[in-house]
Amino acid sequence: MHIQTNKKTGSLRAAALFLPLAMGLVAPTVAQEDEDPADEWFVLQGGDVYTGTGAVLRGASVLSKNGKIAEIGYDLYIPEEAEILDVAGYRVYPGLVAIESRGLFGGSSDLANSVDPFSKNMVLALSAGVTTARSGSEVAKLRAGHIDGLVLTSGVLPGLSYSKSNPSGKRTLRQKFEAAVRYLEAYAQWEIDKKSDKDLKEPSDKGVDSSILRYVRGEARPVFSASTRTDLLEIARLAQRFGFRPIINGCQEGWIVADELGRAGASAIITARDRSTKSEQLVRTGGSSIENAAILHRAGVSVTIIPGSAGISLGGIVGRDLMHLTVEAGFAVRGGLSEKAALDGITIEPARLLGVEARVGSIEVGKDADMIVTDGDILHYQTFVQWAVVSGEVVYDKEAELFFAHIRPRPEGSLSPEERVDAGETADEEIEEDSDDSDPPEESGEEAGDEGDGDSRP
Amino acid sequence: MTLSSTRTVACLALCLLGLGSLSSALDEEKGRAILARKILIAARPGPSVLDNGVILISGARIEAVGPRSEIEIPEGYEVLDVGNHWVGPGFLDLHNHTASDLRSLNDTVYLTNPGLRAVAGALPDNPAMRVALAAGVTSVLTIPGSGSNMGGQGVLQRTGFRGFEANLIRNPGSLKLAQAGNPERSQPWTPRRSFMNYNTRSTFRRGVAYAKRWSAFEAGTGEKPERDLQFDIFRSLYKGEAQVSTHTQIHQVVLMTVTMVAIEFGLPVFIDHGTFDGFRAAPQAQAAGVNAILGPRAIQPPIAGFIDTDGAILGVAASYQERGHTTIGFNTDAPVIPEEELPLQAAMGVHYGFDNSNMDAIRGLTIVPAMTVGLQADQGSIEVGKYADLIVTTGDPIDPRSSVEWVIQHGRTVYDTSKERRRW
Repeated sequence: MHIQTNKKTGSLRAAALFLPLAMGLVAPTVAQEDEDPADEWFVLQGGDVYTGTGAVLRGASVLSKNGKIAEIGYDLYIPEEAEILDVAGYRVYPGLVAIESRGLFGGSSDLANSVDPFSKNMVLALSAGVTTARSGSEVAKLRAGHIDGLVLTSGVLPGLSYSKSNPSGKRTLRQKFEAAVRYLEAYAQWEIDKKSDKDLKEPSDKGVDSSILRYVRGEARPVFSASTRTDLLEIARLAQRFGFRPIINGCQEGWIVADELGRAGASAIITARDRSTKSEQLVRTGGSSIENAAILHRAGVSVTIIPGSAGISLGGIVGRDLMHLTVEAGFAVRGGLSEKAALDGITIEPARLLGVEARVGSIEVGKDADMIVTDGDILHYQTFVQWAVVSGEVVYDKEAELFFAHIRPRPEGSLSPEERVDAGETADEEIEEDSDDSDPPEESGEEAGDEGDGDSRP
Repeated sequence: MTLSSTRTVACLALCLLGLGSLSSALDEEKGRAILARKILIAARPGPSVLDNGVILISGARIEAVGPRSEIEIPEGYEVLDVGNHWVGPGFLDLHNHTASDLRSLNDTVYLTNPGLRAVAGALPDNPAMRVALAAGVTSVLTIPGSGSNMGGQGVLQRTGFRGFEANLIRNPGSLKLAQAGNPERSQPWTPRRSFMNYNTRSTFRRGVAYAKRWSAFEAGTGEKPERDLQFDIFRSLYKGEAQVSTHTQIHQVVLMTVTMVAIEFGLPVFIDHGTFDGFRAAPQAQAAGVNAILGPRAIQPPIAGFIDTDGAILGVAASYQERGHTTIGFNTDAPVIPEEELPLQAAMGVHYGFDNSNMDAIRGLTIVPAMTVGLQADQGSIEVGKYADLIVTTGDPIDPRSSVEWVIQHGRTVYDTSKERRRW
């Protein structure tokens, strides 16, 4: 079978729809037609492909051309010069998307000019499956080893505040929305009236907040940091009144007002393990709930998941930082969220909120070839990311890095990307050397200094 | 909260307690049979898993456990089939602070304070512990902080019942020893290891001498010694009725836990933390029978000039295991890690290389800590004669995705998601 798709509009779903057509009518493949010696081809071959937005394809292959996914399916035509990574027995997922991150890129702002593509934290985030992350108002790919092609977009997640703790700020914001709506109404009326009166003056947008205008027009979505049910309810009502879709960061008591948030078309960015206790002075429900993500999702709120700490922590305490994004998703499942929705919450949902869903967040033809290969269920605690692929190139290989190569080393016979699976070819010697690093380090018996005494535990 | 509302709540709680104990008394008379697809026995040594099994509960204890084909359910027993859910023993965390008033954590009177008691601030029935219960943590060792080399005595408590008395397992539960890596910072001067070892050793010497005088008196071979509250804990330690729970970390310090406390003074002791490169002392600890209750740090990255790992990020539990240690458990040091994340500590141990092919991770939350504090006759595994402290989970209990549906303590239902909102 050979799945073939139109590259411009192609998606996996489209591929499935047009499959009979492609098989029956189009004899020469796109790949063959488009072959050019300068093209870079890369194949993840024979893995169980969890596409995210489409089906799970067992033992399928993903072919990418110049960093973009060209085809997904079985018995693909593979150009001779293609680099092939045999991942039979492994799972292939879309690279994870971190809606928030700190310290991954070695720079602070202006990533294009400050990125350190050899940053240790970038490698560690890749080891956790993260291939795209927001840093400040920018979104970038963890394209380790490269200084270009990292930044996807900027100016994302513009923040607004609407809280009872700042009543005058609330009034001001509401007035801005009212002004924006009045302007749009006047403009619409002018468009009608000018047909009969050509000299009618266009209404002025003076004093109208241009970003608020974009929210009301549905061109952008503002993000609010809010967690109490009162603030959440206020935001939901504001959004319904002015017709914009809010993104809510925190959203701890969202489960109590989930229906209102659903009606407002809200999206929530949630830490499943967030804890806040309800005020003992109130009889009504309150505080955090492990079921928050599940209840919100049921109410139609799209859920994005982020751990409590968006940085990489090597202090020894584990499970709560960006290296354990999948653990946080696991806790959302504990609260009743489906595994599919939990995986969406760390892939396609954050990609949508960041406006990069056309590039990353799922395995679809035409999207960036950003994928991770794991040795098991991505949400299982024992699973490790074996390879991370960004823009059709292996940027992380567990066996080739020092950090985790010693933990359950990959069985011999697993092929490294440098190896072609052409019949008769033998393993590259360099690869064998790499796999020798898998032994745990010997006891060195060196004297420990006092630097480590600083345990801050009570 | 106002005083009047406190009274109302207290009154309400009492009323509820009355009703609760009535219904559970009925349950106990009837006896219960729990049927499950997977039962985690977690005995050590012994079997780990029983498929399609039955547990019979009579009163507070387990009456029988075995395959469905072999166990006959007595007439009149309430039969509870939990379907595809798993049943396992409740968890025991040997390093907890949150079942107490955290403000008295580091009370300090002398350079060593074996007379101070965590029980003075014990608060087992609090919101944090109610969440812990919903994570399957049915008992905890609540200990003082590590502000001085000896912070005081810990207390072993349950989490399932209302009020202190119902939850008390044992007091003293342990003597908290902090060998290094915290006491330094609580003094206006900065004591270092030679001082701290001297300080610790001299207190142990006096304490053991005190305990020996009492033993001689009890055996009729000595005069009645004068009671000294500062040293009474050593009578429990000397008789093996309590253990030394040791804040210890870094190779040399863990080595000193083994050589000083276990070998030199012959007192029951366990490693509590054991982090940084403490794993280098794992063979000596194993040989001396010193159990390793590890955490809350789960990994050790290389630290330039201190711990050389050739770039590897080591799993702490895996590193003890690789060096032959066979009695490994996990802790949280709650609130450092919230108590409800105790099972995650085991899961992270496995992630970072701890071999779980014999289900040692679940043992590290149950039978290993129970053995470590001498409670193995009463709890820590699903075996006949032990308390029915059971958790029913939707799957592998250390998987964050599995939720705890039902908790039974001493044969009584203490948490049931079919009757109340999920707490965790």
